[in-house]
Amino acid sequence: MDTIRILLADDHNVMRDGLRMLLERQPGFEVVAEAADGLEAVRRTEEQTPDVVVMDIAMPTLNGIEATRRITSSMPVTSVVILSMHYDESYVLRSLKAGAKGYLLKDSAKADLINAIRAVHEGRSFLSPRISRILQDDYLEQLNARGVEDSYDLLTAREREILQLVAEGKTNKEIAGVLNISPYTIDTHRAHILQKLNLHSAPELILYAVRKGLIS
Amino acid sequence: MRLHLQELTAGAPPGRSVTEPKPGVPPKAPKAIPAVSRHRLWLALLAGFSGLLLLMAAAGTQALAVLGHMNDADAQLLQRFKERSRLLSQIRSQIYLSGTLVRDSILAPAPASVEAQMERLKVSERDTAQAIRDYERGADREERVPFQQLASEVQEYWKVLDSTLASAHYKSVKEKYAFFYDQLVPRRTAMLQIADRVGALDEAALGRGQEQFSRQFDRFRLASITTLAIALLGGLLVTALTTMYVVRLARESELRLEEASSARASLQELSARLVRAQEDERRALSRELHDEVSQAFSAILMETDNLLDLEQPPDVRARLMSVRGLATRGVDVTRNMSLLLRPSMLDDFGLIPALRWLARDAARRTGLRVQVDAPEAADDLPEEHKTCIFRIVQEALRNVARHAQARSVQITVYNEANGVSVSIQDDGAGFDTRWVRGLGLLGMEERVRHVGGRFAIDSQPGRGTALRADLPIAQVLSGENRNGHDPDSARG
Repeated sequence: MDTIRILLADDHNVMRDGLRMLLERQPGFEVVAEAADGLEAVRRTEEQTPDVVVMDIAMPTLNGIEATRRITSSMPVTSVVILSMHYDESYVLRSLKAGAKGYLLKDSAKADLINAIRAVHEGRSFLSPRISRILQDDYLEQLNARGVEDSYDLLTAREREILQLVAEGKTNKEIAGVLNISPYTIDTHRAHILQKLNLHSAPELILYAVRKGLIS
Repeated sequence: MRLHLQELTAGAPPGRSVTEPKPGVPPKAPKAIPAVSRHRLWLALLAGFSGLLLLMAAAGTQALAVLGHMNDADAQLLQRFKERSRLLSQIRSQIYLSGTLVRDSILAPAPASVEAQMERLKVSERDTAQAIRDYERGADREERVPFQQLASEVQEYWKVLDSTLASAHYKSVKEKYAFFYDQLVPRRTAMLQIADRVGALDEAALGRGQEQFSRQFDRFRLASITTLAIALLGGLLVTALTTMYVVRLARESELRLEEASSARASLQELSARLVRAQEDERRALSRELHDEVSQAFSAILMETDNLLDLEQPPDVRARLMSVRGLATRGVDVTRNMSLLLRPSMLDDFGLIPALRWLARDAARRTGLRVQVDAPEAADDLPEEHKTCIFRIVQEALRNVARHAQARSVQITVYNEANGVSVSIQDDGAGFDTRWVRGLGLLGMEERVRHVGGRFAIDSQPGRGTALRADLPIAQVLSGENRNGHDPDSARG
């Protein structure tokens, strides 16, 4: 198995040192660079082309969400995992919309970081279980409060399969392979799913799946 | 991060410092009229006015009395003059008549007619005597001497006449004529002259009376003029004093009003600055807690985890676990405190994400069903408006949770042509807006007023509560001040 090359972006030295120590004890992980602010993170990523960037949100010069947006638009091979103190869905949603594949809470870094890096490196999405739990709870509460039917029931069996796979971070091509249908058909299904669930983007779909407990 | 931190802890810009004195305020207080002097002034005014009125009343009464008196005196004078003139002319005519009678008796000495003429003479004599007595009663001092002369002349005349007539039978006609012309006519002429003198004296008395009357009138006029002048002067004085006092009072009350309104304005300004300062402080504290304290706890957590990964003696491991627990709690506590002070989404993403967080948070804590209905585009707002709406909604949700016993809350943000509005509606117990003014409603109202908006409460017991705030946005300022949801501003 190839070594996963990692860049750490955080403005706290202690945090970076700790993360480096944690990651370098794992076989197959290598920290190739560190950055103390957003702009440095973008520059180092372009120099080193790491497989995964572990990114804080609160950083000087350029915040982590904007740095993520720049990296994922110019470096498609690099995946970004956000490692943040925020557990509100507004941060999660905006991070995912900016192109991040994973979202972790700093206080559960030890438990989740290794899994998250592996997952995003394999092209899957990953959210901290705590984040998933909060999102699911809120969603359930809202559903209960509103007393409305879950829009999930509107989906066909095929659409539910596709939703699951999209939420896991699979590309249309991969999904087409798994389900043995044409990628164009998948596009049509995705459009229907978004319409039925009143969503507008893939990250919202992922959040929806997390809230529903389809993925974690 | 140090620089970042310093910038944050700098907090409120110096211009907004609360302790900064405002130039020109407060204005110099006007010299107030002390209570004692005001009391004395009232007394003086009262005395002035009542004195003046009394003076005028007295002068008027006196004038009426004097006029009446003078009128009476004048009438009396004339009456007396007329009466005396009448008496005098009666005397004169009786004398003439007596002369005529005597001449007739001389010329036609019929014995029967002499008797009748004697009778008529007696009557004439009596009438004359009566007239003389009447006249004498009202005679003046000047008149007395000539009048007594007249009286004695008349008496003499009558005596001579009586004796003449008594002896008429025995004398010749010639003698009678001689007697008539030599004795009686001169006497009659003298008497008439005296009567004329008396008449002239009487007329002079009338003249004197009228002169006296006119002098009296002059005196009266002088007195009236003096009284009028005094009253006018007094009135002028009192009026001047009163006018001065009223003007002073008016100026004083004007100053008071100015002072009060300027005090109110500066109080509002101060309260607005306090609110801004508080918000700046909260933002700085929240950021500090989140970016520094909380991150430090996470770093401790991470380091502890790293140590726990290594071989450790059991007691060290137990200690490390304890440190880990403390750090975890530290992370949670600081994160909650930070959110409580000022949620980072408000500054990182804008109003609507912050409101949605608020709704989720309230739902989580209280089980309320909170729905936020807002166009994302509504987030392009000036900083003050964002904060204002956020705090109002926060306070409203707190109220609902504490007092309303509601099941659901609807929060709606509207974009208006020249501003933004927010309404918070619950289906709870409601309250009587006439009596209840606590519940932080005043604070909300104050906040709305600071940004020049209107705040309305609509509630009735049993009918839920609806709060609404309409905040205008100054078009000129909106460009530089606006601070919409922008991922660039996100912090960790």
